[in-house]
Amino acid sequence: MNKRVKNLALGAATATVMMMSGLGPAMADTVLKFISWQTDDAGTGEWWHSAIAEFEKQHPGVKIEFTKAERSSYADTMTTLFAANQPPQIVHLASFEFQMFADSGWLEPLDPWLKKDGIDMTGWAGQKTCEWNGETVCIMTNYFGFVMAYNKKMLDAAGIAVPKTYDEFLAAAKATTKDLNGDGIVDQFGTGHETKGGPGQYLTEMLNYIIDAGAYWTDKDGNITIDTPQMVEGLTRWKTVMKSGISPVDMSASDVRKLFADGKMAMRLDGPWLYGTTEKGTAKSDIVYAAPPLTPPLGGSSNVLAMPSDIPDDQKQLVWDFIKLTMTPEFQRSYATMGGNTPPSPKADVSGVEKTIPHFPVLLQTMKAASEKGIDRVPIGLELYYNEFSKMIMEETQRMIIQDLDPAEVAKTMQSKAESIKG
Amino acid sequence: MTDTVRAGRGKFFDLARPSRQHLLGYILIAPAVLMVAAIIVWPLILAIDLSFQQVKIPRLGGASRPFSLNNYTWLFSSEEFWLACWVTFKLVVVVTAGSVAVGLSTALLANNRFKGRTVARLGIALPWAVPEIIAVVIFAWMFDTSFGLFGWLAIQLGFSDQMIPWVSSSTAAFWAVAITMVWKGFPFVSIMCLAGLQSIPSDYYAAAKVDGASVFQRFRWITMPLLMPVLGVTLVLTLLWVFRDFSIIKVLTGGGPLRSTQTLSIMTYDQAFQYHNFGRAAAVGVLTLVICIIASLLMLGRRSKSIY
Repeated sequence: MNKRVKNLALGAATATVMMMSGLGPAMADTVLKFISWQTDDAGTGEWWHSAIAEFEKQHPGVKIEFTKAERSSYADTMTTLFAANQPPQIVHLASFEFQMFADSGWLEPLDPWLKKDGIDMTGWAGQKTCEWNGETVCIMTNYFGFVMAYNKKMLDAAGIAVPKTYDEFLAAAKATTKDLNGDGIVDQFGTGHETKGGPGQYLTEMLNYIIDAGAYWTDKDGNITIDTPQMVEGLTRWKTVMKSGISPVDMSASDVRKLFADGKMAMRLDGPWLYGTTEKGTAKSDIVYAAPPLTPPLGGSSNVLAMPSDIPDDQKQLVWDFIKLTMTPEFQRSYATMGGNTPPSPKADVSGVEKTIPHFPVLLQTMKAASEKGIDRVPIGLELYYNEFSKMIMEETQRMIIQDLDPAEVAKTMQSKAESIKG
Repeated sequence: MTDTVRAGRGKFFDLARPSRQHLLGYILIAPAVLMVAAIIVWPLILAIDLSFQQVKIPRLGGASRPFSLNNYTWLFSSEEFWLACWVTFKLVVVVTAGSVAVGLSTALLANNRFKGRTVARLGIALPWAVPEIIAVVIFAWMFDTSFGLFGWLAIQLGFSDQMIPWVSSSTAAFWAVAITMVWKGFPFVSIMCLAGLQSIPSDYYAAAKVDGASVFQRFRWITMPLLMPVLGVTLVLTLLWVFRDFSIIKVLTGGGPLRSTQTLSIMTYDQAFQYHNFGRAAAVGVLTLVICIIASLLMLGRRSKSIY
């Protein structure tokens, strides 16, 4: 009898545990996965967290799992997740990498969602980039213009005025590059370019000089336009900058920014995100932001939000709600006030932002200048082959610098190889 | 249930019976076999299948593309592939030779009796214990073109009048990778050789000494032949490590500049994750596997002839 009671008790306990574990998932919150490289970015990361908090407040029982993936391996992570049929519900991608996912049909067309909510995207900066095969597959989160930050103390010490042209910029960079302790190693650089962050970043750094020389990789119809006198001039400028020792070489973006922020570099051409680093640097009080001497300023689309095409409809609605929240005028404004970014929405009220971010008008000015000239880092017609194209350009440029080749010959080689890549 | 049936069932499952002992072995090894099949054999089959399809990004459970030899045709006609083969070959030769030279030397040293031998042995094993990615990041700092230790040393010692562009010069980048790999790889050779050296009976050396054999002769005719079984296996394992190593090159140079450090493993990664050509990447991977198998067979065959 005793044994029978024991067995019954054991059976009841097992059944209870099984029932509870069965009920578990049904009672749990709905979780949306959101992977980003910006989770802990100064300003921008906080803005994402505030949007998530607001979304969760508006959607009780729904949680957003916000996870960081390093930018350097971000595309690999997303490719693997999509290939394994496990994409995050909220898809955050750089504007030069979403095309492959869109081309594979993995991103939900957003036109019906926009139409349903009556959202007008007219004037939304960079939104045209999000159109793929005639459909809107993402929402542009950030469109930016490059600015020049300079260390006023260094320029003053060298008796140099703030440069307004490429020649002045080069002269200022040369005058401020110094071996301060005479050990044969340069301790203070005139400027700094990242050359270790991969081909895409390498091209971005080069583009400052190429655009100023009046050149670009393709025209608005997608034809390759590398073999031109303007491009030869642009390549010559890049070669001069890299060979004259005014920039440290083989450095990652974060290292270059840190050098600048800590007062070991006189000038830096960069996007709005530089502000987060300079605010934490030891030379913070000496740093001033200005319009870049290279015009039009480099700029363009930065990152996008999208949703996978094959998640359940109820999840799609939640993801759309989140995207929509980030597009509201309130969050577009806080994108500026918290992150120091230029919001893409034409309805964003950015008045008074300069009180907390003094250089904000410069950011807006360069963003508009870049937008008006239709500047973007991803060349039209080469979106799908951007990685291959950028690697080819980087290699040919490195060859030009290492083997001291004539930029005119290099431009010819690049033209031919780019045409071959495009097919 | 009757006692007869119970007894019969007990007999059937009696794995202690000599005739059924092999069954116990199979049962015990089954989980490991299944695990290996799941994490190695299955992906390998998938990779081979993928290498015969023209596919950009595959999707798990997605429909297969038609059979095609295009990936292999592209590969054999690609300059990039042959360059990657040449770089891999150079790296395998340099790093394996370097690791064996340093590893064997340190093993011979650590096999002697001297004060501080334990500390020396620990020191030899240390690079092996350091996680690869941490070691590479430290080396990346030391090879930094603007502020790195090696460039500074070169200037201080008068070898150079300016910092050495370790990562933006094709030759320097290759040697930066090779030096890092030798540093990371020699302890394994050293430990294996030390184990091999300690298994050689000291009587052989004593007898050779009596016969008037010099140090070099003892090394040539006793140490080396008796060490060959260990050294052969070590050589194969080191060679395979160099072949497949990815993180050292990726972190240090990313395969550049001008593909001077782009090995087959880096090329596989680039094709898959940079260019999104998973079919081509799978083809490079399969060919790398084939080359590794052939190299291992050749090395093991050579080793078997080298011992007494």
